[in-house]
Amino acid sequence: MKTNILTFALSIFLCVVARAELKWEQNVIDLHPAVGDKTAVAHFKYQNSGTTPVHFKSVKASCGCTTTQSQKEVVNPGEKGEIVATFNIGDRTGQQMKTVTVQTDDPNPSQATTVLTFKATIPQALEIKPTFVYWQSGEDPKPKKISIKASKDFPAKNITVKSNSQNFESKVEPSKTSGEWTIEVTPKDTSHPMGTALLVQSDYPKEAPKSFYVNVSVTNPPGAPAVLRPNAPGAPAAKTGTPAAIPSASPTDR
Amino acid sequence: MRLRAVRASFAKATTAKQALILITVASLPAIGEGIYFRDKISWQSPIPASELVTVDQARAWGDGAIWVDARPDEEFARDHVPSAFSLNEDHWNELLPQLLPNWSPGKKVVVYCSAESCNAARDVAKRLRDDAQLTEVFVLQGGWEEWVKTKR
Repeated sequence: MKTNILTFALSIFLCVVARAELKWEQNVIDLHPAVGDKTAVAHFKYQNSGTTPVHFKSVKASCGCTTTQSQKEVVNPGEKGEIVATFNIGDRTGQQMKTVTVQTDDPNPSQATTVLTFKATIPQALEIKPTFVYWQSGEDPKPKKISIKASKDFPAKNITVKSNSQNFESKVEPSKTSGEWTIEVTPKDTSHPMGTALLVQSDYPKEAPKSFYVNVSVTNPPGAPAVLRPNAPGAPAAKTGTPAAIPSASPTDR
Repeated sequence: MRLRAVRASFAKATTAKQALILITVASLPAIGEGIYFRDKISWQSPIPASELVTVDQARAWGDGAIWVDARPDEEFARDHVPSAFSLNEDHWNELLPQLLPNWSPGKKVVVYCSAESCNAARDVAKRLRDDAQLTEVFVLQGGWEEWVKTKR
C-alpha cells in the first residue's frame, strides 16, 4: 500500500516537474503592409519555459497564400525561437485573417496545439466602384460611370486610362475634390458580346506607377451559352503581366 | 425497502450535483478565455444559408450557372469542375477578365474552394458581389471535396 502511494506521489511530482511548455509572446499579430508591398511577415516568438525539450510535429498555414518557417525542430529548455509566417499579398485588399497551426509533442493536449493568428490590413490604393460595368446585347450604348478615389496613403494627382480594345471609349474626369475621379465608358456598339479590361494607371509612386483594372463588357442576352472557354483542363492560370484584352466574341460564337 | 429507495434517490441527487459542479468548473476557463480574447480575434461569422448551395442544387442549374474555382493555381491545374474558371485572390486582376465575358444577367455564380473549412470561396464570392457587383453569387457547400464525393 505504501509503495502504491509513493509511486502515485512520484508520478504526480514528475508530471509537475518534468513539463514541456512553449510560451508564445503573442498569439495574435496585426500586420500593416504598405501600398505596393508584395508580402507581409509575422514573427511569432516563443520560449520553452519547461524542463524538457519540445519537438515540433507540424506547422501548417490555413491558406496556400502563407508559407511558414520554423527555425528548429527541437526547442530545448530555456531556448527561444520564432515561427515566421510570410503572407503573399497577391491581389488581395482589405482585412485578411489567416492562421498557422503549430503541433508539438507536449503531453498536455491543451498545450500541444497552438493556433497563431495574423490579421493583415492591406491598404487599397485606389477605391474603384464598380470594377465591372456591362451593357446587355442590344441595349442603348449610353455611357456608364465608374468612381475612383485615392486613399490617404496614396497621394496620386492624376490617373490615365488605356484600353487594348477599340470597342469602348473612355474618358477621365477629375472631381472637385483632390484624389477623386470619374471614368466614363461608352461602348461603340452593343450588337454583340465583347469585353475588355481597361488599364487605369496612377502617377504615384513616380518610379513605378501602379496599375489597376476595370472590366467592361457587352454581355450575352440572359440564358445564352458562354462565349469563351475557361482555362483548358490542366492548364495553369495566368500569373503575371497585364491582362490581355478579352477577345471579342463574334456572333457565331454564341 | 423504503430506506433503500431513499438512499437511491439521495445517491442520484449527489451524482447530479457532482456532475453540475464538474461542468461548472470545466467551463470556467473557457468562459474566462472567451472574455479575455473577445476583442483579440474576430472569427468570421458562418456563411448565411441563403448564400450557400449544395452540389445537387448547383448541378441542377446546368448552363444557368458559372463555376468558379477559388483554389490556388496549382490545385486548379491538377483538377477542377468541368468548365470551371480559375479565380483566386493571388491573381485576381489577371483572372477576373477571363470570367466576366461569360457572365450575363440572370446567371448564377457558384464558387468553391478545397473543403468546407476553407475561406477562399467565401472571400472570392464576397469580392464578386462587392467589387464587380454581381448578384446571385453562391458558395458551394463542402467545396471541391464534396464535388469529388458526389461524382463517385
